[in-house]
Amino acid sequence: MIYKWRRLGENSLFLAPSIILTLILGIYPLFWMLRYMFYDYAGYGEALFVGLDNFRRLLRDGLFWESVRNTFVFAGGKLLLTLPLSLLLAVILNGKLRGSNLLRGIYFMPTVISTAVISVVFYNIFNSYNGMVNTVLMKLHLVSQPIDWLGPKHAMLTVIIVAVWGAVGNYMLLFLAGLQSIPQDLYESAAIDGANAGRRFWNITLPMLAPVAQMVIMLAIIASLKGYESIMVITEGGPIGKTEVMYLYLYKLLFPVSTGSPVAQQLGYGSAVGFASALIVGAVTGLYFFFSRKMNKVY
Amino acid sequence: MNEHVISKQPAGRAQTAPRPSGHAGRIAVRTVMWLFLLATALLTLFPLLMTLTGSLKTGAEMMTGGSLLPAKLQFANYAEAWKQANFARYTWNSAFMSVMVTVGTLLVASMAAYVVDRRDFPGKRIYVTVQASMMFISVGAIVLRPQFDLMVALHLNTTLWGVILILVSAHSSTFFMLQGFFKAIPRELDEAAMVDGSGFIRTFFRIILPLLTPGLGVAGLFAFRHSWNEYILPLVFTMTNPKLQTLTVGLANLRYGSSAAMQIHLMMAGACLSILPMLLAYILANKTFIQVTAGSVKG
Repeated sequence: MIYKWRRLGENSLFLAPSIILTLILGIYPLFWMLRYMFYDYAGYGEALFVGLDNFRRLLRDGLFWESVRNTFVFAGGKLLLTLPLSLLLAVILNGKLRGSNLLRGIYFMPTVISTAVISVVFYNIFNSYNGMVNTVLMKLHLVSQPIDWLGPKHAMLTVIIVAVWGAVGNYMLLFLAGLQSIPQDLYESAAIDGANAGRRFWNITLPMLAPVAQMVIMLAIIASLKGYESIMVITEGGPIGKTEVMYLYLYKLLFPVSTGSPVAQQLGYGSAVGFASALIVGAVTGLYFFFSRKMNKVY
Repeated sequence: MNEHVISKQPAGRAQTAPRPSGHAGRIAVRTVMWLFLLATALLTLFPLLMTLTGSLKTGAEMMTGGSLLPAKLQFANYAEAWKQANFARYTWNSAFMSVMVTVGTLLVASMAAYVVDRRDFPGKRIYVTVQASMMFISVGAIVLRPQFDLMVALHLNTTLWGVILILVSAHSSTFFMLQGFFKAIPRELDEAAMVDGSGFIRTFFRIILPLLTPGLGVAGLFAFRHSWNEYILPLVFTMTNPKLQTLTVGLANLRYGSSAAMQIHLMMAGACLSILPMLLAYILANKTFIQVTAGSVKG
């Protein structure tokens, strides 16, 4: 009996820090949000219960829906460039290749660098009048006029380029891990049967990679719908809201001071926006999971 | 085909089918492939090269754009950034925060992972499920608000300890990683130690943890990278307390400075100062970073 109590005590002691931290800093904040999305609460003073008013306001909030649209443009552009590029790199580097390790190291490097810091660098090199990108393009005579990379027309493209730069190496590595788990004898027997490289890619590599790819693509979708750090540093959502994404809009409602945004702090409404945003990400993930479920089967 | 046959060939060696087609065609394919690989590598390195050369230019050179390489190497930029732009302080804050987060995360996660791996207790499945869902539930900046208010209530917002606690509370991915490493340590070792009269706590700290060193190293590297690169959290906590700013925050804030335009060369020197430690760690531990990427998806 004493032995049993002692075991229980030891278990509790070892789990206590983890459980306490998770409860207080992980779970409590979720309930905080679920509560305040029904209140009109500015962060100081009294919180006023308003029922579903925050959600009614959300439906009519043009800025929010604009940010949702931007989020999908951003995520779509990023994924369309990142996924094929990283898969291509992974397939090439999976073959016998001299210098393959060095190249892997280089492509993966962006992943170890702080997004905020490298965004400061990108902000400077994309500057229209003295940025290095324009200097290089003009020296190569590819453009005659400096391009306004951070202006309303190209800002979205610029933040997508930065996002792709930071993500390709990561997904390349995940694809590479998947490729290396494909048994080699499949390729050998296919080669004996006379299948060429293209056929081997379509009939062996792609189907065998599908389950890994399903997970990798899902992680990529979630990450690109949620990412706002680099946009915050490069454009702060501007110019004229052209790069305002969902989670950045949410951040500005909760901490307007740090972005210098003129919006008033609105924690109640912010909670509703946070809930809706999480719901949108969840819905997209769910839809993707439903339509990609075939990828899970390997045969 | 038989999928259960273990491939005799080392992983990563792929399709080596003899191709009867033209020699010239193969050379053309190889050339295109290498051009693509090198172009991608160059684009990946471009912003880093710009940071390095930019950090060695004068402010005037940065302002006019101009050449890729500095006319004369300005090593004084580093001294100026270190002293004037306060990078000494930022570096200290970053280092302090990252070391504390790493130690804290490893301790909390390894204790929990040990108990979960070695023992049964009521609620074990609930605990594991909650930890797993903590990795996926995300409502963006919204959880920051209650976390911030909690730290204010505890008077931890005037030091970096608030940020440290919050970062340690997000230890679920480290927990799962370490649990995997614990599985590899035979249970007989714990039992033998217990038979020799070593208590539970003593066995853990004296016998098991030392055996876990490789696993702790990998997990620690990831925890360190994560906290060193963290931006939003320290930004929120240092809004009213610039003395606590970390490298990421301090650097990004230089953009808003009144004379920011004059300080691009200092920003680049600062960016180098904040990127270099991670880059060095990466080059030294390249293999580790590349092999263990699961559970640390960024992008």
